[in-house]
Amino acid sequence: MKKIKNKLNINRRNFLTGTASLAGLAATASMVPITIANANHTEGKKGLPGFISWKNRDALIVHSDKGIETHRSAIGESLITPNRNVYIRNNMPTMTDGQIGDRNNWKVSIQGVKNPKTFTLAQLKKLGHTTIATILQCSGNGRGFFEHKVRGSQWKTGAAACIFWTGVPVKAVVDACGGINKDAVFMTSAGVDHEPTGLDPKKAMVERSVPKKVYKDAMLAWEMNGVPLPNSHGGPLRMVTPGYFGINNVKHLGKVNFSKAESSVKYMKKSYRISPIGKKGSQYPSCWEMPVKSWITRPTDETGTVKAGKVQIVGVAMGGMKKVRSVKVSIDGGKSWKKAKFVGPDLGKYAWRQFAFEANLSSGTYNIASLASNGSDKQPELRMENRRGYAHNGWKDHSVQITVV
Amino acid sequence: MKIIKFLLIYLITLILFCQTLLADESKLAKGLEIFNEIAACSACHTLKAAGAEGNVGPNLDTVDLTIESVKEMVTYGLGVMPAYGEDEILTKEQIDIVSFYVVSSVGK
Repeated sequence: MKKIKNKLNINRRNFLTGTASLAGLAATASMVPITIANANHTEGKKGLPGFISWKNRDALIVHSDKGIETHRSAIGESLITPNRNVYIRNNMPTMTDGQIGDRNNWKVSIQGVKNPKTFTLAQLKKLGHTTIATILQCSGNGRGFFEHKVRGSQWKTGAAACIFWTGVPVKAVVDACGGINKDAVFMTSAGVDHEPTGLDPKKAMVERSVPKKVYKDAMLAWEMNGVPLPNSHGGPLRMVTPGYFGINNVKHLGKVNFSKAESSVKYMKKSYRISPIGKKGSQYPSCWEMPVKSWITRPTDETGTVKAGKVQIVGVAMGGMKKVRSVKVSIDGGKSWKKAKFVGPDLGKYAWRQFAFEANLSSGTYNIASLASNGSDKQPELRMENRRGYAHNGWKDHSVQITVV
Repeated sequence: MKIIKFLLIYLITLILFCQTLLADESKLAKGLEIFNEIAACSACHTLKAAGAEGNVGPNLDTVDLTIESVKEMVTYGLGVMPAYGEDEILTKEQIDIVSFYVVSSVGK
């Protein structure tokens, strides 16, 4: 079959000068000069995109150049996920060094406070300093287990990571602005990564509102696991909302507004809503608080057969908004459960705990599952069916099948 | 007689084959037009075969696609991507054609 090439420049020009067809214009009212939009690029069909060429290819599953998952067995067995293995989920193209400029001069405006101000990153560093460990987890982590056709990356367990963030507490920033306005209901954070694309901010801006109370534990982070926050993870400055799904941890942060109303952009009103299959709308809950969850990270079906005898079953467990209290492990697909022990340090309620369970396994096939509890809630057996495949924490789908020889 | 029969079958097969080729060629040409001009997929996606270098949405040369999955995505959109079908930006026929074009062109 003959390969058809086009003369794209003419078409690009049509869009920019407004001579494209009506349908095209309706679809792309704010389309972009491609020379700006293609700032990062990809190489090879399943290679890593250029903007994250520094990552560990062997640890990652490439769904697309915008959706890259960590293998179940590669999230790290020392609690913290190494940066090279951390998943990538981008709604907008990662900003380049050129677009970011001098990192210390990066600006964020604080609004909805008594004295609205704009701070540079250098100024933020004088206001306060803290380090916290939190779980960064995409709302759609586990989508790959849903049986109805769900659009989007088919994440299984690897759109999640446990990360040390360093930055300034939001509380210190609002104190420097005289405190939050009394009528504020939400903390609304906006990224500026849509700006280089030229797309309509209402459709493209990642602006997320969370309940105002979140500010008490939130921070503006400029460092990730001991290094300056990589551009691909939202550098030089990112909002960190502990306990809340990844989308609320806004990248390339340009504005924090303590607002009376939720943001009206598409990423707040329409996207990231947990609705029944076949239904959608802003009346459904937004992807905010993460639920209790756990999964096995070793042995897994990725790591081949297991030798009979003593086996260490290892995994991670998170409590969501509360500290995780216990984890049970089953080696018979959930028929019986035994308590696992937590290992390693407790990095606080927003980090996950690593757990280990020792089993003596003879040859055969085993279905290994884990079940976490935070004292109030425990993982359900089944997923909560929903249109977009969000917030999956059912233990059954997350179990692993292993063969012992 | 046998030779004539054979030649006839050969000729009919050839004509059918050529028709399919021509139909696919025409579909691909229409698909390219939709991709680059009518829907302007090229402004946000990379697809080497179309000369497209957009970087807002996924690079289509890096994604495993089926005609069904592309149709679904084009019809309903996702995130910043418009719902071309639901919002009646493209007709169902146009969506079929552009989906065929994308899946036929990936990695070429």
